[in-house]
Amino acid sequence: MTTTQAPLFAPTFLRKLDRLALLTRRAMAGEMQGERRSPRRGSSVEFADFRPYTRGDDIRQIDWNLYARMERFFLKLMVAEEELTIHLLLDNTGSMDWGEPNKLMYARRVAAAFGYIALSSLDRVTVTALAAGPAQQLPGVRGKRGAFPLFDFLQNVPGGAGGNLQATAKRYVQAARNTGPLLLCSDLLDPEWKEALRTLSTRPFEITLVHILAPQELRPDIDGDFRLLDAEGGASLEITADLEVLRQYDEHLREWRAEIEQFCSGRGINYIFADTSVPVEDFVLANLRQRGVVR
Amino acid sequence: MSLLAPLALISGLIIGPIIVAMYLLKLRREERRVSSTFLWQRVVRDVEANAPWQKLRRNILLLLQLLLLLLLVLALARPFFRTTGIAGRNLIIIIDRSASMSATDGAPTRLDAAKQQALTLIGQLPDDGRATVIAAGGQTENLVSASTDRRQLRAAITSIQPRTGGGSDLTPALTLAAALSSREAESEIAIISDGNVRPLDTLPPVPATVRYFPIGQRSANVAVSAMAMQPSAAGQTLFAQATNDGPEAATRRLDLYLDDQLFNAYNLTIAPGADQSVVVEVPSQVRKAEARLVDETASDALPLDDRGWAVSTLGEATTVRLLSPGNRFLEVGLSRLPGIKVTVVPTSTATFTESAAQVPLTILDGIVPPTLPPGNLFFIAPPRSTEFFSVTGQVDFPTLRPTPGDDRLLRNVKLSDVSVLKANRIQPGTWARTVVDGDGGPMLVAGERDGRRIVVLAFDLHNSDLPVQIAFPLLLSNIVSELVPGSGADTAQLAPGQPLALLVDSSITTVRITHPDGTVVTPELRNGQAIDSATDALGVYIAEQFQGEKLVARQRYAINLFDAAESKIAPQAALNVPQVSGLQQATTSERVGRQEFWRWLAALALVVLIVEWLVYQRNGIAYLRQRWRTWRARTAG
Repeated sequence: MTTTQAPLFAPTFLRKLDRLALLTRRAMAGEMQGERRSPRRGSSVEFADFRPYTRGDDIRQIDWNLYARMERFFLKLMVAEEELTIHLLLDNTGSMDWGEPNKLMYARRVAAAFGYIALSSLDRVTVTALAAGPAQQLPGVRGKRGAFPLFDFLQNVPGGAGGNLQATAKRYVQAARNTGPLLLCSDLLDPEWKEALRTLSTRPFEITLVHILAPQELRPDIDGDFRLLDAEGGASLEITADLEVLRQYDEHLREWRAEIEQFCSGRGINYIFADTSVPVEDFVLANLRQRGVVR
Repeated sequence: MSLLAPLALISGLIIGPIIVAMYLLKLRREERRVSSTFLWQRVVRDVEANAPWQKLRRNILLLLQLLLLLLLVLALARPFFRTTGIAGRNLIIIIDRSASMSATDGAPTRLDAAKQQALTLIGQLPDDGRATVIAAGGQTENLVSASTDRRQLRAAITSIQPRTGGGSDLTPALTLAAALSSREAESEIAIISDGNVRPLDTLPPVPATVRYFPIGQRSANVAVSAMAMQPSAAGQTLFAQATNDGPEAATRRLDLYLDDQLFNAYNLTIAPGADQSVVVEVPSQVRKAEARLVDETASDALPLDDRGWAVSTLGEATTVRLLSPGNRFLEVGLSRLPGIKVTVVPTSTATFTESAAQVPLTILDGIVPPTLPPGNLFFIAPPRSTEFFSVTGQVDFPTLRPTPGDDRLLRNVKLSDVSVLKANRIQPGTWARTVVDGDGGPMLVAGERDGRRIVVLAFDLHNSDLPVQIAFPLLLSNIVSELVPGSGADTAQLAPGQPLALLVDSSITTVRITHPDGTVVTPELRNGQAIDSATDALGVYIAEQFQGEKLVARQRYAINLFDAAESKIAPQAALNVPQVSGLQQATTSERVGRQEFWRWLAALALVVLIVEWLVYQRNGIAYLRQRWRTWRARTAG
């Protein structure tokens, strides 16, 4: 079902994305000079603080006007402006490559939009696919030039493999060099979704969870006797779907979503629900903005 | 339980596995790939935890289909029970509808139970079987003859109404049935009765199997067995008698009503088989008396005979003309008869001016006038021939031989001790029936000709010892009752079913007879008689004669059951009917009937089919229910 050749976006949408910027709730340290305030002090034009001179300090930073007034040496510290590393985590397990419209395609587009916004504000973007097997990762692109490898990578993320969300999340958390805004696009259809989210929140990422479900999952249109085959190769299940069972399903789905939302709010995770029947453009321009993820 | 068509079970063996195979094929459920069974697992776990039969539910359709198949196959195999019933193809049903069948120990009465039994027999009739329905008791009626139309048979059986009068004589019915069955092989006669019938032993052997279906359980019954109201010195004497026909002593309250007002009540305790009577003086203006037996223990099985009626005969004396050279016996005997006023006319009288309505009876004792008077005639030793009979001589010392049978004139009369010196030899016309035969000629003949009733006694009373016998007043009373209906000893007492015949004058234009239930009958006047034969209901009948608009006479008649044979209601377990096969007793409880019940199985199969369809469509039904709920919630809100 992977529509590899389909373009992710229309050009007009990209122009709209240019006007958006990622919001972070707190300053985060980066590696290279960028456009984001860093918790570190550095060499921008923005004043941050004074501090008494100690031996070994760069004498170029002494504020001579202050010395003239107080006859003591003070260093004038400036706010450092560094780049941010945006972590895009894409759940491409079997369950995601399903639905009409396809959930994986939706996740690709959300990740691409998010990544493009980040790139246009000179941030570093790393993309990781969370399926089992050899880790698929785009190590880090920066600047608008990086949009092409980003889109290219996203378009080529394969779907359909099984996977353990928790294990891959753990691996990612251990390997990530620095923290930053983290976007997780997943359907969380994994018995260990809680552990996975808990693992991610062990490091101070600023996590945004885009919970993607297809309309066929929200309102299953089955009636009669079926054998349900798990897309990730799990145990199949025989059901006799009638209204009562569908009502139960609906109830469980609601409970499950409420549980996720509660779990996320308890750990400072920004939870955004996405129904793939809503066009990606509307979702990004309206929902993400509304939830304070982009500006 | 046995099967008529056991081969049909094989179809079940064939179709059953096909259903199972098809179900197994269908059981390969449609496969549907879903993103994850993660959410579904929780649902299935919940649903199965909430309803333990959920696991069964997936098989419920198969089970229902197999049940449906089982029922249909069983129905095809035509199972039946052996019941008491019939086995033949030509069935003749005789239903007893006599008074004793009105006992309330059936469902609700014996007759209803008998009808039910008859309907069951019709149901057991083989497909090409024919049935005849005969209702016995009173007049025998052949309701349906050799019909295969079940609806017609059922309608005929249902239409049978009880007959209070006429007794229960199955002889004509059985004779008819025997004649019908002799034409057809495999005939069976079913007698549905309580067995209280006249003995059938003397019948010629019946050429068919006779089965007897006894009806009824209880035998407790106390009846009002006699009732009369006679003029007396102070007014009237009312006599009521209750007889216990049950097997145990019974206690009853006898309520006496005079002109529909409660007069007195008596507590009676009567030994089985015994009777107890109440004699009470009542005022002379009382026209009508009724006795009711009230059973406080509700053990009386036959309410029909718990009521009796008597009407007053006071002041309604009938004039009887007596032409006699002087007959002390006759004068005394007639004067003792209630309601009779005797006018003695000289023997020389040649013309009679009074009409038949004024003088309904003339007694010609040893005299035959040149012109016979109008009305009914009672000849005693007629000296010469008349238009009705011829006198051809004399018989000396004739012996009296009453003709067999129960002639009304000989009721309670015993003539065996009567000796006659000499009698006239009489040759009556064809109108007459011989009541008492003698050597050389009939001694007593009776009959009806041109609307006139005539009785001829062949010997002079002075030439016999009859007047000094107890038989004389009884015979006289019977003869006067016969000749003057509505008078005599049993004044205005009639048995149910007996036609009410009124002798009316030619000046009478209309006769109205009011029945106990209030209906009014105006019988046609023919030959100076008005006859109402619909006298099956018990109670007091009022007959009124009109001249134009003017009421000229009113008579009351009490119709009472007073039939000891019908009041004995103890059901008989066996019935003796001689049969060609040598059997002397009708078979009672041989289990030869086949009660098929495939219809019930088929009906059950239909129900299962509906249930199966509902189960199959349960989603649609639940959807409709949900729609209904939301609609109601919306309209309520």
